[in-house]
Amino acid sequence: MGPIWLRRAVAVITASSALLGFAADAPLKIAPVAFNERVLANGLQVIAVPSSASPTVSVQVWYHVGAKDDPAGRSGFAHLFEHLMFKSTAHLKAEQFDRLTEDVGGANNAFTGNDVTGYTDLVPSNHLEVLLWAEAERMSNLNVVQANFVSERAVVEEEYRERVLATPYGRFGNAIAPAAYQVHPYKRPSIGSIADLDAATLADVVAFHARYYRPDNATLVVAGDFDPKQLQAWIDQYFGPVKKPDATLPRVSVVEPRWTADRRAELHGPQVPLPAVAVVWQGPPVADADAAALRVAAALLSAGESGRLNQSLVYRQQVASQAGFDADLRMGPGLLTGYAIVAGGHTPEQAGKALLAEVMKLADKPVPAAELAKVKTQMLTSALVERQTPNGEASALAEAAVLYGHAGEVNAKLEQLRRVSAADVQRVMRRYVAQGHKVTVTYSQGSDK
Amino acid sequence: MKRAVLAAALAAVATWAPAQQNESAPVPGAPRPLQIATPQEDRLDNGLRVIVAERHGTPLVSLRLVVRTGAEADPPQRAGLASMTAGLLARGTRRHGAPALAVAAETLGGSIDSGAGWDASAVGITVTTPRAAEALSLVAEVATQPTFAPAEIERYRLQALDGMKVSYAEPGTLSGLLAMRAVFGDGAYAHPADGTPASLPRIARADLQGFHGRFYRPDNAVLVFAGDIDLAQAMKLARRHFGAWKAPAQPLPKAVPAAGTPWPAPAIVVDVPGAGQAGVSVTLPAIAAGSPERYAGMVANAVLGVGYSARLNQEIRIKRGLSYGAGSNLDARREAGALRAVVQTKNESAAEVVGLVNEQLDGLAAAPVPAPELAARKAYLTGSFGRRLETTQGLGQAVAGLAVADLPLAELSQRIAQLQAVDASQVQAFAAKYFDKARRHVVIAGESAAFSQALKAAGPMVSLPQGDADLESAAPPQPR
Repeated sequence: MGPIWLRRAVAVITASSALLGFAADAPLKIAPVAFNERVLANGLQVIAVPSSASPTVSVQVWYHVGAKDDPAGRSGFAHLFEHLMFKSTAHLKAEQFDRLTEDVGGANNAFTGNDVTGYTDLVPSNHLEVLLWAEAERMSNLNVVQANFVSERAVVEEEYRERVLATPYGRFGNAIAPAAYQVHPYKRPSIGSIADLDAATLADVVAFHARYYRPDNATLVVAGDFDPKQLQAWIDQYFGPVKKPDATLPRVSVVEPRWTADRRAELHGPQVPLPAVAVVWQGPPVADADAAALRVAAALLSAGESGRLNQSLVYRQQVASQAGFDADLRMGPGLLTGYAIVAGGHTPEQAGKALLAEVMKLADKPVPAAELAKVKTQMLTSALVERQTPNGEASALAEAAVLYGHAGEVNAKLEQLRRVSAADVQRVMRRYVAQGHKVTVTYSQGSDK
Repeated sequence: MKRAVLAAALAAVATWAPAQQNESAPVPGAPRPLQIATPQEDRLDNGLRVIVAERHGTPLVSLRLVVRTGAEADPPQRAGLASMTAGLLARGTRRHGAPALAVAAETLGGSIDSGAGWDASAVGITVTTPRAAEALSLVAEVATQPTFAPAEIERYRLQALDGMKVSYAEPGTLSGLLAMRAVFGDGAYAHPADGTPASLPRIARADLQGFHGRFYRPDNAVLVFAGDIDLAQAMKLARRHFGAWKAPAQPLPKAVPAAGTPWPAPAIVVDVPGAGQAGVSVTLPAIAAGSPERYAGMVANAVLGVGYSARLNQEIRIKRGLSYGAGSNLDARREAGALRAVVQTKNESAAEVVGLVNEQLDGLAAAPVPAPELAARKAYLTGSFGRRLETTQGLGQAVAGLAVADLPLAELSQRIAQLQAVDASQVQAFAAKYFDKARRHVVIAGESAAFSQALKAAGPMVSLPQGDADLESAAPPQPR
């Protein structure tokens, strides 16, 4: 099959009609991702989408484990563990993943979210088999030694310093979830703390791998240049023999209660040139039927220069130097977070008040049709931009499969987005924002305690 | 809990079938080479150069109007003028105000992105193919008819000054800005491209109009299309939206010397109280973008600090856990360039990190890079280059970069072969010529009490309080 995004009406359209502007009002249509999906006997979910646009292939393994699964007293552990997956295994030396990717013209990376940990490899397509072998190897045979554990833990502590302590708003961003959640493990910052990282041991590493890194807790996505039959044969060969443990997979079942009162938190830091404020509401899980309308609401408020918060707080009132709104939806209870970095000469109170007023307008009045159409086009174009590369396409599929629970969501999500109406936006903003309770977090120069 | 994972081979082999086959990595098959076509070009009657890099398959087009003049043309006392001029393009034209322009662009699905760096100012947007004509009409409107309304100038200035308050609190940013000042000294490449807290208030509307009038002209510009479009279609659109653009009668102003004389080399320390880390830079004057040594320079820089496995990250992160990431970049501009090693580390380790960077710079000059390492770093370079061209935006930027640096467009299709042709002796010769100790400028921004003793022991040092780092001054800071 050809490139996934080829859709005749758009891509093969001729210059005389498409490029001279007549088609601009037609609704933007995006061809669905034509993926193939199966589950191996050991429970591994496999998703494949071929494309020959470039001679590269993306191999991604997402494990259904994230910061919410950090053991007690070990905040930041899922993330520390992610780093250790690049150390030795039974048949791979430490950093050999870099030999198999970087050294042959590819790249690798990994990330840890609240709900997932993803490993992404991108290689010239003739190296696909090697990467499938290597991913199966670290799924089965991780073998970290003490010296590597200690040095990598120091790296993660430097990551903490770089991202939390050395950036002006690092402490602020890191403090929002802890201030907002009351009981859910999302309350702990996913980067952890130096004390909890220092408390981690090699035994924790062994236990964590055994508990969560198993085929029935993983999703393998391959996108790019490959022969579909050959791919499946290799997957059977390398992942087929990985054993599914008998132990039950532990799952977080903590329920975050409805917040019953507004709360406030004040935070200080040593290098805060301009104060900041965040206002946070409780949101639904990512797979909830209201999620699409909330994502549209977030885009109305903060997508691009023309977003409402930028136009109102930054451009017209000039009370903020930056403002945004994030529908931070997760597998469990999500957050709806509005934030502003205060403009020089103004206060967090002024910016917070303006932010609140702008957010509430979406609950009070339906959004005009042209504005709704604008954000939908922005969101659909962004999806298309993301899916240009094998990595982008694989990530979109993995996110659908793991966070939303089924790969088909990659296409359904865009369909749901098209169907969101002005009334839907108003309804969800009433339900979650106007009728919900909020947590306000302010951040300014000074010291705590 | 079962210890199968760490008991490794024995426990694991039992689960593998056929075990033998899976114990070592399979051997890769033959590669499918990356084919990169040379972009096509043509010119409008008014002198505007039009370049098209085709990439079909996804219905997206990235459009970019590039003016071949940037921050190097900022006049004395007006650092940030090019940047402010570009930043204000979409803040009002003869036909539309700033909010209307933002809505118009974003209704097409993209966002107008404008700014100035070294040697170039640009305004661009990425949209789906059917929106390309309207998007180009907007790009033409903002590039050729900006009004620089006084209220917008004031608004922009306040936002930029606020932005600087934030970026000057970041040790890495502060260290980088001062490093470029040290390397380019009194040259036109030395000041911060975005200006400084002192220079922005001096920029008047007449300065902005003057800069736009002098440099935004068709015979000093390049229009780049990248993506789902061909040359005939692009020329039709270019003629329609830029055909009436006229170059002024007066000739294009001559460029001022950009390289300058570097500062003397004592290490510079900026004390940032409460800094969460120290930002460390070791920077040296290097080559211009069009230098015949450019491929050797790219490979030398790649061995030193590009990618996860390069020497700086090996020594500083992987072996010692001293940083989340250590690397280097080769900033090769039209007339001159700099190579900068960049590391953030806890304040206590800053002096140790400087020593490690110096060792790696010395090592590259002292001995040839072993063949497997050289092959690996070249593979990484060529692979990243190829991946960059997988998006219409990356492709457009790569093409614009060639045009700005006065390099032939064929370089796009030849670069991989040229990089592959670099050998170990060329890398060593490059390092010997450019990495000399006397040419290195060390700048550290951080909590200086934690590292200044150790740094002083290694050589001369000048220390400044955070507020005294004068990025406007071409004169080196004096010990006090």
